[in-house]
Amino acid sequence: MTELEHALVALGGELEFPPTPDLVRAVSGRLQRRRWRRPLVLAVAVAVVALAIAMAVPPARSAILRFFHLGSATVEQVQTLPPAQQRPITAGLGPALVREDAEMAAQFGIRLPKGVAPQQFYAQPGMISTVLRADGKPVLLSELKGDQTVLFKKFASPATSVQPVDLGEFGLWLHGGPHVLMWQFNFGRVHRVETRLAGNVLLWLDQGITYRLEGDLDKSQMLQLAGQITR
Amino acid sequence: MVGRPLDESDLIERAQRGDTHAYEELVHAYQGIAFRTAYVIARNAADAEEAAQDGFVKAWRALGRFRRGAPFRPWLLQIVANEARNRVRSAGRRASLALRAAAEEPSGDAAPSPEAMLLSAEQREGLLAAVNELPEEQRTVLSLRYFLGLSEHEVAEALDVPQGTVKSRTARALERLRESYD
Repeated sequence: MTELEHALVALGGELEFPPTPDLVRAVSGRLQRRRWRRPLVLAVAVAVVALAIAMAVPPARSAILRFFHLGSATVEQVQTLPPAQQRPITAGLGPALVREDAEMAAQFGIRLPKGVAPQQFYAQPGMISTVLRADGKPVLLSELKGDQTVLFKKFASPATSVQPVDLGEFGLWLHGGPHVLMWQFNFGRVHRVETRLAGNVLLWLDQGITYRLEGDLDKSQMLQLAGQITR
Repeated sequence: MVGRPLDESDLIERAQRGDTHAYEELVHAYQGIAFRTAYVIARNAADAEEAAQDGFVKAWRALGRFRRGAPFRPWLLQIVANEARNRVRSAGRRASLALRAAAEEPSGDAAPSPEAMLLSAEQREGLLAAVNELPEEQRTVLSLRYFLGLSEHEVAEALDVPQGTVKSRTARALERLRESYD
C-alpha cells in the first residue's frame, strides 16, 4: 500500500457518518408482517377457489356441510354429490412417464415405499403420481408440493366417513360411501378439472408435501403402506 | 470494521430454514457496514437507511438462492448497494463526505494511529476535498475500498462491475489525487 493509500485509510477513520439506525428492529418487524400475510393470502385464495368450484356444481351449491383443508387438498362434505363417473384411477393424470421424466415435469422427487419400483409415473407441475400394488390391489399414490400449483379437492357424501388420523403433520381417512374427486391443474391459470368417483383415500401432510393414497384397502393396510413412505 | 459472528454459516443455514432470530443476528452483525455502504453511494442518510432496510428484507427473501459456504458479506452488500443506486436515480440532496468535528483538531490525549500521523488536520481536509471532487464513480470506488475497508472483490460485487473495472477506477482516482495532493 502506498503512502497515499495509507492516508486514505486514515482519513476513513476520521469521517463523519450518520449514526447507524437500528435496522434489526425495522427488518424484524417487516419479516414478521410478511410471515403472517403470505399464509393468509394463500388461505384466502384457496378458500375462494374451492368455494368457486363448489358453487359451480349445482347439487353442491345448496349445502356444504363440512370443509377441510390439508396442504394441497381440500375436502368438502356435501348433501348431494355432483355427477361423476367410475373411471380408471389414473384418468386425467396425463401420459405415463418414466420416473426421471416425471420428476422433471413435477419439479420434485417422489418418495416411494422401500423396495417398491413402479415403472410408470404421471406428472403435472407440482404433482407426481404412480400406481403401487399392495396386498395384491392397485393403489394410486400421489404427492403434491408447492403453493397449490396443483389443487385437488373432494366432495364426500354424508355416507362417507372422514376421520382424522395420526400421520405426518395431519392426516385424514375417507372411506365408506362413494365420493367425487376433482383434480384441478395449473392453479390460477388454466382451470382444467378432471372428475371421477374415488375409493378409500388416505390423505396426509408431511414436511410440505401432501400425500394421497387411493385404493381398495382398509384403514390399517393403508396406514401401513403410508408408514413405509413417511414416518 | 464490523466483526463477523463466529457461527455465521450456522446462522445462515438456520435463516434459510426460516429462523428469523438467526437472521436478526446477521442483520445485527452487518447493519453498520450495510448502512455505510448505502450512505457512500446514496450520500443521504434517509435514503441509506431505506436502502439498507430494503436490502436486508430482499436478502431474506433471496436466502434460498444463497450458495452455502460462499461469503455472505459481499452477497449482502451487492443487494444493499443496488437498492442505494436505485435511490440515487431519484432527486434529492446529496451530502459530501465530511470530517468529524473532533477529527479536525486531534486531541493531545489520544494516541494517533500510525496512519493518522501521516497527515496534519490541514492535509486531511485537503485530501478529503480532493476526494469529494473526483468523478462520482471514482469517488465511490475509493470510498468503499479505503474508507469502509471493502476488498476489491466486495467493491466489484457492490457496484456490479468486474474486478478489473474496480482496479482501473482505483488507479485513475489515485492518480488524480496524487496530482492534487502532491
